[in-house]
Amino acid sequence: MATEIKNSPPEPWFKKARRPKEIDEMIDENTILVRRTLRSGQKIHFDGNVVVVGDVNPGAEIVASGHIIVLGALRGVVHAGASGDEQAAVLAFRLQPTQLRIANHITRPPDDEITGPEQPEIARIKDNMVTIEVFQSSDRYGNLI
Amino acid sequence: MSEIIVVTSGKGGVGKTTTTANIGAGLAALGHKVVLVDADIGLRNLDVVLGLENRIVYDITDVTEGHCRLRQALIKDKRYEGLFLLPAAQTKDKTAVNPEQMKKLCGELAAEFEYVIIDCPAGIEQGFRNAIAGAQKAIVVTTPEVAAVRDADRVIGLLEAAELRNPALIINRIRPKMVRHGDMMGIEDIIDILAVDLLGVVPEDELVVISTNRGETVVSDERSRSGQAYRNIVRRIKGEAVPMMNLDDSGFLGRLRRIIGLK
Ligand SMILES: Nc1ncnc2c1ncn2[C@@H]1O[C@H](COP(=O)(O)OP(=O)(O)O)[C@@H](O)[C@H]1O
Ligand SMILES: [Mg+2]
Repeated sequence: MATEIKNSPPEPWFKKARRPKEIDEMIDENTILVRRTLRSGQKIHFDGNVVVVGDVNPGAEIVASGHIIVLGALRGVVHAGASGDEQAAVLAFRLQPTQLRIANHITRPPDDEITGPEQPEIARIKDNMVTIEVFQSSDRYGNLI
Repeated sequence: MSEIIVVTSGKGGVGKTTTTANIGAGLAALGHKVVLVDADIGLRNLDVVLGLENRIVYDITDVTEGHCRLRQALIKDKRYEGLFLLPAAQTKDKTAVNPEQMKKLCGELAAEFEYVIIDCPAGIEQGFRNAIAGAQKAIVVTTPEVAAVRDADRVIGLLEAAELRNPALIINRIRPKMVRHGDMMGIEDIIDILAVDLLGVVPEDELVVISTNRGETVVSDERSRSGQAYRNIVRRIKGEAVPMMNLDDSGFLGRLRRIIGLK
């Protein structure tokens, strides 16, 4: 890890003038960490990114203006880039959503899909279509989503 | 130390009342002092399941409204020495009792009984909030059906929000054959979604219906598999580590993640 982000206490390098631009952008990003499983009937609406350490169960819903990352099984309804951001992505250890939306694209799994994914997957818009790919943490480090 | 346990589910007809009656009878059979509270106000059927309907004079709302003393409303079971029932009102509506009154009532019962077990109504409205208000622990009952599991999940979320964490799960009416053929959700599928500890699995068993119709509980039936399942659940509630019984020769219970007691 080349870059380090510290929030407090302020140290000399932290002074705004000397902070690299990309770090500035990172600090401006709004992200919440949800440290539990979202159960049926529970909803999160957030202006920013949402990271869930747990599952998103059927009947649960996440709407975020940014990315949605689920470190667990994603089986509910998610909407990333809800304010129209087509760059937003949805990433999950087990991507099995009831419905998945990115910006104004709405998708659902095919009706005959029986088996779930075995590995982490990422959904994003490519060529004006929501595509789902196996998430590979090794390629292009630093620009994963 | 007494325990106040609510038996809940979200969906109706999955076996809350059957579970409450059998756990109560099972604990009483082991010599414990147990009171069952029928919080399904307006519907009332715990008394019927226990065959005590004809003994009811006062009910839970008579107690909360001060028409009688708590002792007067308690009905002694006809089979088990230490088992008592506080019946629900049949005629009055669900708003007849409020959460504060339930809390007070549970506290009073806990002073006299080792186990206070509350039979919760279906749904997540006022009746549900009343039933969980005084509880310290929760048992969630589901059947291996998608809709029942979904409602169980909703209820677990609401229990967690009400500070009733780590509810224990009972999967009722499982049919090993159907699971094997993929026609029914399996135990692992259910645990995978609900991510709570499993207290027990009760097979589909016509003896449950037969005994219920006679106003008896199946837990004392030595030969029935459901009775065995309830006896195991009772021992787990007491804190014993009892292995899950094999409902099926293919041993699909062998790979369970967790087996727990309530203590
Ligand atoms: N394991 C079982 N096998 C067969 N029938 C069952 C079983 N558990 C419950 N039942 C039946 O299902 C019906 C609903 O059960 P009940 O306990 O009244 O559900 P609830 O209280 O959740 O509405 C009853 O007729 C009961 O006899
Ligand atoms: Mg009932």
